[in-house]
Parts: sequence; structure tokens; C-alpha cells
Amino acid sequence: MPTITIDGTACEFEKGQMILQVAKANGIEIPHYCYHEGLSIVASCRICLVEVWAPNPRNDYKLEAIPKLLPACQTPAGEGQVVYLDSPKVLANQKQVMEYLLINHPLDCPVCDQAGECYLQDYSYRYGRSVSRFEDDKIKQPKKDLGPTVYLYSDRCIMCSRCVRFTREISGTSELCVVGRGATEQIDLFPGKALDNEMSGNVVDVCPVGAMLDKDFLFSQRVWFMTSTPSIDGLTAGGDNIHIEHNKGTVYRIKPRTNPDVNKWWISDEVRYGYKHIHSDDRLTSPHRAQHGERINTTWPSILEEVDSVITRMVGNGATVAALISPMLTCEEAFLIADYAKGWHVNRGQAIIGIGPVPVDGEDRTYPPTAKPGDANAYTVRAEKAPNARGVKRVLAAMAGDGKGDLSEPMDFDAWLEAVKAADIVIITGNYPNDWVPKELTRAVTKKFVVHVDTLTNGLSVKADVVLPSSTWAEKSGTFENVDGLLQVFEQAIEPIDGAAPEGRIFTHLITLAEGKPLTDAPHYDAGLIRQRLAEEVGLTEFVDTISIPVQIQKAEPDVAIVDL
Amino acid sequence: MPMTEPVLTKRIPTYPYGDPKDRHAVWYDEYVKTGGYEALAAALEKEPAAIVDTVKDSNLRGRGGAGFPCGLKWTFLPKDYEGQRYLAVNSDESEPCTFKDRMLLDFDPHQLLEGIAITCWACGLQTAYIYIRGEYHEQAVTVQKAIDEAYKNGVFGKQGLMKGKVDFAVDCYLHRGAGAYVCGEETGLLESLEGKRGWPRIKPPFPAVAGLFGKPTIINNVETLACVPHIVQHGSEWFKSLGCESTIGGPPSYGTKLMGVSGHVNRPGVYECDLGFSLRTLIDEYCQGMKGGKKLKAIIPGGISMGVLTADQVDAELDFDIGRKNDLLGLGTACPTVLDEDTDMIMVARNITRFFKNESCGQCTPCREGSGWIYKILCRIEEGEGTTRDLDLLLEIAGSMGAMPGTTICGLADGNNWAVRTIINKFRDEFEARVKPSLVPVTMSV
Repeated sequence: MPTITIDGTACEFEKGQMILQVAKANGIEIPHYCYHEGLSIVASCRICLVEVWAPNPRNDYKLEAIPKLLPACQTPAGEGQVVYLDSPKVLANQKQVMEYLLINHPLDCPVCDQAGECYLQDYSYRYGRSVSRFEDDKIKQPKKDLGPTVYLYSDRCIMCSRCVRFTREISGTSELCVVGRGATEQIDLFPGKALDNEMSGNVVDVCPVGAMLDKDFLFSQRVWFMTSTPSIDGLTAGGDNIHIEHNKGTVYRIKPRTNPDVNKWWISDEVRYGYKHIHSDDRLTSPHRAQHGERINTTWPSILEEVDSVITRMVGNGATVAALISPMLTCEEAFLIADYAKGWHVNRGQAIIGIGPVPVDGEDRTYPPTAKPGDANAYTVRAEKAPNARGVKRVLAAMAGDGKGDLSEPMDFDAWLEAVKAADIVIITGNYPNDWVPKELTRAVTKKFVVHVDTLTNGLSVKADVVLPSSTWAEKSGTFENVDGLLQVFEQAIEPIDGAAPEGRIFTHLITLAEGKPLTDAPHYDAGLIRQRLAEEVGLTEFVDTISIPVQIQKAEPDVAIVDL
Repeated sequence: MPMTEPVLTKRIPTYPYGDPKDRHAVWYDEYVKTGGYEALAAALEKEPAAIVDTVKDSNLRGRGGAGFPCGLKWTFLPKDYEGQRYLAVNSDESEPCTFKDRMLLDFDPHQLLEGIAITCWACGLQTAYIYIRGEYHEQAVTVQKAIDEAYKNGVFGKQGLMKGKVDFAVDCYLHRGAGAYVCGEETGLLESLEGKRGWPRIKPPFPAVAGLFGKPTIINNVETLACVPHIVQHGSEWFKSLGCESTIGGPPSYGTKLMGVSGHVNRPGVYECDLGFSLRTLIDEYCQGMKGGKKLKAIIPGGISMGVLTADQVDAELDFDIGRKNDLLGLGTACPTVLDEDTDMIMVARNITRFFKNESCGQCTPCREGSGWIYKILCRIEEGEGTTRDLDLLLEIAGSMGAMPGTTICGLADGNNWAVRTIINKFRDEFEARVKPSLVPVTMSV
């Protein structure tokens, strides 16, 4: 493999790679604004200029300096080249570019949402000069409302044109363009258009400064107060890698997490803004039961014990247990629910297991619209709006196939609705971000003992015998299997909202009670331990071997000592 | 051997060979009657490669400003490539004080069309686009009429060049720009021609490999192409007898050159001279001296982006070595602007930078921000509010931008850089007299 020396480090590279890409792959930082891995190269910000010495074939391959500074993002790496990142010319250019970028920048960091994650700030600190020599009036530019999701603060813009390239090259909608010339040029909407496409939120992510701002997040948090938890999209089947950013138990925004195998650098607006139901007023926040036509709120221990005693009594009379396991749940939870259901059928018939309805909206849409399979920057918006239909099925099918016969094969929703007629006890899980309960379901389970585990108030939660409030994916950890069969673990971002509990914990407790032990003996619910059980008891070794676990990015330590006052 | 009769201005009466009062647009019939399209007919007898060799041998250097050898550029086209290739004719003459191509377009458009036809035949280019400056309304009408005539008389069109004399068809179109200086930069021109924003492209790939619509493209200036028929007709040796050799070991400057003089002279206008012509002779004899008998102060030799000459440098020879000999960027378009003793050089500098501020395409940070900054500082200095510190700052800002230090994609910022630096360096007294002293130096701590 050819080798290039960057900043004293010998780096191997493949032909065609740019110097900046080689440096990135080897953990060497070269500052850049306009370059983005997922977009075309324009080499216009000029801060990545480096000094290159190359072997001269006309002079016996002696190493000679190339007189001009070269843009690292656009100069292909060459065998034997030596790249300097700290030569006087390079440093002078970095300082100069930083000064240029700031002369017409309002420097309004105290009121800017981007402050704290802004490349102008970072690079000013690392590569800039402490004072500006610009004494004249700055150019003032307007704020613009680009569309339903994004504001543009034109005067903060550094004209890297990433957003313009995004709408041209990824969303394919070309709403944005550059108007004007020179220092007064601005990003603007193409006349008659609005930035209104289902990928629009990504322009905020690609913007290296505070020009493109998310309306949803505007002025809601300072970024340094937030914790960022690596997670997986819990709404669609794509398994997009995301960061859930939250503070004090409240989710404030969702950002894409780069994964070249899944979502690349992007997420759709549906994934980005789909977290609203987590803090919806319609969340179920107290376990309750039906009593003489009224809903009685109660406490967790008492309702769990009541459920256990009712089911024990009914099963003693020969009742059959049915469970509907939602494709919104994790693999681990599906295992526990099925495990609980089959526990009532030891040497006695089988529990009727079904998979909840899998919502589908239209067809998959791939961006850019011209993408071919395998394109490095293509992103697909999945029509299937459930994160784990495949994972739930994988677990349930493996459990049903263990030869004991205490569990039915996992049925789809319609078949289960038919089969559930034979059951007396019905456990229904939901966790959908909307009112999902079809009339047929309500009709099919009337006059049965219904344990309804769900997050939002819906047509069934006002009728079920017992309602157990559960928590959304942001409030728990687990594993989702995406459309491509990739098993991805995600971590709990926030604590479950008051009164709710993750399905995993609910069923761990119910299993403990069913085993005749007191609740105080219930083990702590740990998704990792359940994955080990899946491997050992069900034979799904992939849950231990090939599963992908996210890496938590450690926030950089501050370089000034923090003193307690 | 100096030129004895006009070459490019053969049909355009120009001092000292004719009276500009007699100028008129030469249409097809008159053009043919005066020997037009003979060079094309002769070219079609030859092998295309032979024509490229002739032009290469003639050392014809681009007349658009950079002076790149035309024949060499033609050889950069990929060999054994069968598909579509383009010729883009750069008529976006937007350099301030430059108006030489306009005369060719106004009065002898067929000379250009003949050059286009020969170039297309020589390089195997099927389509030519004449990219004409947006402000050239009348010239666009004239050229379009000439193109229509050429089609009618079978020069261009499906049947093949010259009424089907060879089995190679060339189409020629006129495309009007929208008034951006940067679209005169060759890759900015291509972007504009494609219907995009005129942002210069990163090179490589060079246009000869991947140019217009991604296809191999040759881009030549109007005057360069107008020279081609004459070279084909009279041979490279004849062309080499005009102009001059380099005295500093550089490539030679052969041929004649249109020089459009403007400013404080008695008879401004376009003149045709040998390359290497003395600037003093041009001003004193061709232009009949300074207006009002005033003293010469400065000369901007060829478009404002090349820098400035002082009165001491008036003996400079107008050839492609002028840059290295006189601390200029280069010959440029060879359209000198003459400034007399009453001219305020600070105002000149401010006016020049205003142009570059307005015309910076805004792609590269140093040019976009730097050009506006330089303009603001010069405005301040002109009003008497500047300090000596500002002068150093100006030199530093100007020196840090441009394609030559490598900080920008195209050469627009170099023009700004050279204009500002040469004016301040050569007329520093005048600047220092206008600014207030400053005790705080400008330093670039690294």
C-alpha cells in the first residue's frame, strides 16, 4: 500500500483518497468547513490548506516543496509525499481564514444555539487569532424562515455551501441556492420553493456554524447542559443510528449518529422529530384497573400482585393465556413476555402468541432519488413504521421451536385475532407513538381478562381490566433488528417518566410473582443478561456474538481546572 | 521585422493604417471579397494535425490575459476520443478598461467565425459556443447576424464545413452572459454556459479533459481565434517574424496584438501593434500624447488586475515579459489605461477594489471576505481616517489572497492582490501623506 507522511505520521492510503480523508482515517485533525464526507468536494473554505512536499520525477524523485498551499480536501494523496500541518505558511493561512470568516460574523455566541458545538468557536480557539484587526462596519444580513423545520441566520453563515449541496445531492430537491456575490452573498430559497422535504432537518446537522437552526430546538437548551446517549431509531424499521440528547429527564433533540452501514450521516425528519410522544400529555402515568365501570389508580406492587393472583386463579380453572407482542418492543422484552406467557402452560396446551400490527406507510423512499444500491451516501426512509418486527419474530420463532410445545408459533396480527377467541387471559402490549388500537382488537378481547401494557392513552386503555403504563425506547435499553437483519443495541437515555416502567421490568416482576416469590426478590432487569439468556436458553447466539453495541463518546475534558466555589 | 500592414485590423480601419471613421461591419459578401474564408478553405485541404502543428509552431500565445500557448492547449485534448467535444469562445471581455475584442466583434465578426471553423476542424470540435458578455448587446446582435450568414452560406451546419467540403459538421451558437466578471475565467465561463452559477471549478481536471458538460473542451479568446486564420494562411514562419523574442529567456511573444488605450490621452482607442511595442511610442505617437499636455503619472498596462506602472516605467515593452521586468502580474489584455498627474492614486485603488469586491464570486473565503475588507479600508483611507497601520494591513491582506499563493481557486483575487500591492508599493508616499501615523504595528504572529 502506498504511504504518505502527514504531520510526521506515516499513513497508508488507497489510490484516489484525498489527503484530508487519509488524515481523518488516521486520527489526524486538519481543520475544514466545506468538506463533508457525504457531499461533493468544493474546496472553497480554504482552511484545510496544507504544505505538501512531493518527490519530483524530473529531479531524481528528490523531495521538493510544492510552492502553493494545497487544499487537503481536494488534493489526492500521493506516494512518498510529506504533508506539513504546522509550517509557517499553513499556520498563517489558518489564522487568516479564521479572521476572514469572522469579520462579517456577528459574534453573537451568547444567543446562538450552535454555541458549544460550533466549528467557528472550536477552530477560533485552535487555529485562529485572539483579536481581529477588522475595524469597519460588519455586513448585516437577515434571518430567514426557510420552511417548516429550519431557520437561516444569514449573517452567521460562512458560505461553506454544505446545505446547498445537501439539497442538491442527497434530498434531490434543490430548494436552496446561493444568491448575490462577494461578501454580501447569501444562502436563499430558490424562488417559489420552501425547504420542505422529509430530509430537511439534516441541513442543520451539516451546517458547521449557527446559520441553519432547528426550529424545534431553537432556544430550548444550551448544548453543554445536555447528555448525548447513543441510541437507535425507535420508530421505523431502518434502525438509524441516533444520539438522543437530553437533560434532566427530558429529551430535547435527536441527532444522527454516523454509521456507514445503516443511515450514513443522515436521518429523516420523521426520526428526528418523532420523539414528541415521549413527553406527551397522553402518556399513561399510573397503573390502573377497572372496577365496577370506573378506573381506579393504584400502585405498582398492588396491581402486579393482583394481576398475578387473578391469572393464577383463572389458570387453575383451565384458562388459556394469549399475548400480543408489539413490534415496537425490544428483543429482550419479547423474550420475557413470551417466557411469562408460556410459564402458565407447563404441560398444558400452549400460550397463543402474536405479533402486534406492523404499520406501513407507503413505500420505501431512497435519497438521493437517483441512488443505486450500495451508494456510499444513500439513505432510505423506511415505509415500515416499527423498529423491531423482525427481532420480535426472531425471538418468538426460536422460542416456539424449542420442542416443548408450550408456545404457539408467532402469528401475525390477523391470525392472532382469530386465535385469541380461544383464550381467556389476554396480555396486550402497544408502545406505538399514536392511537393504534383497531376496533377489531377491542371487540375480540371483550369479556376476557385484559392486561394492557402501553405508553399512550387509547381506545383500549380506557376499557382494559388492568392497564400498566410502560416506557418508550428512550427510557430503556435493548436490541432492535432493522430491515437488513442487523441487531443493534441501544442504551437507556432518560429515566422512565414518573409512574411508568419499561416492559422488561414489568414482566421480570410478574415472572418473579408467578414463581411464587415476593416482589422484593425480583432481579434487576438488565438487557445484557437477557441477551445472554437468549443465547443460552433459546440458542440465539447472535445476541452475544454479532450484536453491535454503541460506543459512548466521552465528552472532552475541559482544559481549565474546575474549581468549586 | 516589425509589422508593415495591419493583420487583425485588415478590414477595420485603425490608426496609423486607416481612419476609424471608415469603420463599418464587414458582412459575409464583403468578407469573402477581401480574402475571407480562404484560410478555412486552405485549412480543409490539410490534415487537422498539421494545422495544430502549425499553430503550435507559431507560438501563438493566448490573447485573453494569461498568455498560455494556444497550440499547446489544443494538444491537451484526449487522443482517440470519438465523442462530443466543444469549443468555448471567451468573448466575456469584462476586464475593466479592456475593449479590444469588442472591436473585432463589432466590425469583423466573420474573422472570428473563420477562426472558430478552423479551430473546430483542427481539433475535431463539433460544437462552438461564443460566450459573449451580457453588456455587449449590439455586439451580440452583430455576431448573431454573422452566424446566421455563415449558416446560410454553408460555413456551419449539418452539411459539413464550407458547404460540405469536408465531412465534418460544426455548429456555432451565441450565448449571452449575465454580467459577471468571474464568468470570463475559463471554468466559471463553462459553469455559466451550463446554466449554473458562475463559480470557477477546481482544476484538475482541466477543461481539455473534462470541460463543458464534462466533455473535452477548448476555451480560447476572441483575439486568439482571430489570429488563427492568418497563421494558417501565411504560415508559422510569417507569424514568428512579427512580435519579439524574450530577452530574459522566457517564451517568445510573436505576432501582433490589439491594444486598447484609454485614460488621459488625446486619442484613445484600439491600435494594432507588434508585441514588444514600446509603451512610450504607443502613448506619444499613436495616442498623440497626454491630454492637455499634462504629465504622466501612472499606467495600468493591461486591465486593472495586472498592477500599475509608474511614469518611470513608461519605456516598458508591451510583451509577455512585461510582468517579470516591471513587477506586474503580466501583460494581461494589453489595454493600457493612462493616468495623468492629477489622478488620486488612492481613489484609483479604492475604485479598483470596489470592482473586485463586487465581482468576487464568493466561493473562496479569502477573496470573498478579503476583497470587501480591502475596499472598506481604502474607503477609510480616502476619507483621511486611515492610519499607517492600515497600509501594512492592506499589503498583508492583499498578499495573502489569490491562486498564486494557493489560497483561492481562481485568479480573480490575484488581480485584486496585484493591483493593491503595486499601487501601494509604487505610490506609498501618496498613501502615507493621507493617513494618520500609527504607533501600533501590524504583526502576523504565528
